[in-house]
Amino acid sequence: MTSAASTDTTLSDDWARRVNTLLLVVAGILIMTPTVWMVLSSFKPSFEVTAYPPKLFFTPTFENYAQLTKTTPFLSFALNSVIVTVGSAGIGLLFGIPAAFAVSWTRISWPALLALAARMAPGTLFLLPWYVMFRQVGLIGSYTALILSHAVITMPIAIWVLLPSFDNIPRSVYEAAQVDGCSLTRILLRIALPLVGSGIAVAAILCFVFSWNYFLFALVLSNGDTKTLIAAAFNFVGEGSTQWGALMAAATLIALPPLLLAAVVQRWLVAGLTLGAVKG
Amino acid sequence: MEIVALSAPAVLFTAGMIAFPLVYTVWLGFHSFTSAGEQRFTGVANYARLVSDWEFWHGLWVTLVLYVLSLALQLVLGIWLAVILFNAKRIHGIVRSLFISPFMMPPVVAGMMWLVILDPSLGAANYLLQSLGLPPSDWLASPTWVIPTIALIDTWQWAPYVALIVLGGLQSLPPSVYEAAQIDGASGFRTFRRITLPLLMPTIVTAMILRSVDLLRFFDIIYITTQGGPGNASNTLNIYGFRVGFEFFNIGYASALMLTLAAIVFGAVLALNRLRHAVAW
Repeated sequence: MTSAASTDTTLSDDWARRVNTLLLVVAGILIMTPTVWMVLSSFKPSFEVTAYPPKLFFTPTFENYAQLTKTTPFLSFALNSVIVTVGSAGIGLLFGIPAAFAVSWTRISWPALLALAARMAPGTLFLLPWYVMFRQVGLIGSYTALILSHAVITMPIAIWVLLPSFDNIPRSVYEAAQVDGCSLTRILLRIALPLVGSGIAVAAILCFVFSWNYFLFALVLSNGDTKTLIAAAFNFVGEGSTQWGALMAAATLIALPPLLLAAVVQRWLVAGLTLGAVKG
Repeated sequence: MEIVALSAPAVLFTAGMIAFPLVYTVWLGFHSFTSAGEQRFTGVANYARLVSDWEFWHGLWVTLVLYVLSLALQLVLGIWLAVILFNAKRIHGIVRSLFISPFMMPPVVAGMMWLVILDPSLGAANYLLQSLGLPPSDWLASPTWVIPTIALIDTWQWAPYVALIVLGGLQSLPPSVYEAAQIDGASGFRTFRRITLPLLMPTIVTAMILRSVDLLRFFDIIYITTQGGPGNASNTLNIYGFRVGFEFFNIGYASALMLTLAAIVFGAVLALNRLRHAVAW
């Protein structure tokens, strides 16, 4: 009797697991399909991309990518994006790392809360005074204005991702160094930093991704020469109303760097994204 | 003393790029700007205008409808996805990367992508509907459907994010909770509703706070797809404030609008934070 009962439960457990796997596959397909469609469309010949009914099978071509680099300054937009993203991520980390260490060391929480407040405010709220300020000093359209504005996105990310990492280091680790009379800067550089290596990697990648993806500031603060890819995407949409192939090629290329980077750190990404609210 | 030096770059940067501009916005909100670039103190005139501005109230309504709709969809789907992921026990890195991909993608790219899929005449979505025998929709081009459509796009992008947060909450629950329920012979769904869900509430409210901050300031996907249209059907407060400021260059009135929106976001976060304390265990 008992053996039959246990077979029964394993049987239903088995079924429950199969149904669950099936649901997971369905969810995965629903999540993936739009992105796959975007990538497929970018490889379609221009006369087939707007075909109706839409075609699933076609001879792939790089025509759209070639057209994109020929008819738009795509590569210089990409270079602008790299400059602004690397610059702002660099400033965010350079300012954010010592700040996060100081906040963790003193256990004062208000600077971190201030950084959180910066995340809560709508971007336009900052853009209005910046626009007036940058115009007065002639910085509209400059890389400086773009990098500084994007650093307002990256620095709070760096602080919030690194705070839990620094908090997790037990105080006893620092004690020997303190007895030796090491300065705080030395303690940060020699002891704390090597211990939060993975945290810094996640912070750097999140800074990069969110700066790369940010739309609003570059929309107003860039000009024709300093336009980032994301801001240029707005023009692609206007011009690309009939050129779906080139539009989807642009979308694919713009999405590629953040998606690749996110895949590298996927395991640690979620804890970082929830600002330490959930330990995953 | 060294602590001060370590935090000085961040503090100075915050003062120059965040704190001072915020104070300056408050000042701008009390002023009017002529086309010649001259500014004039007008007291609360911008706020008086806001109260009687039909577009403001419309924008507030659109913002709130989009907020409630998106948040509800993302929470329900996100929790459901989290349970599926949790039941799968082991989660492969590829599955996690797949779940992360929508919300790591630039919202602007998500907008471009869905613009093509949801095209009223040539889009794949309408073809799919028609081959299932359902009527096609104008999606983003329809004044009635534009808000639900944007909510769907945002849900595609962020429900997986909610799922991963809730999954973190599920994984941190003590296993004894489930054992006790099993001994009592409670059914799966009853266990979930009576025991798991209440224990998950703090995590769920955290997810609500994180999503509320973004949803109340909704901008990117709308600006890339409809710019507030058709007509003004998707003209959220953030879109409206941006257009007042940078299309009509009415910096003073735009400042008043954005400060009001910031107050709404701040209020929502405070309220949800109280809720989080109320459901804590």
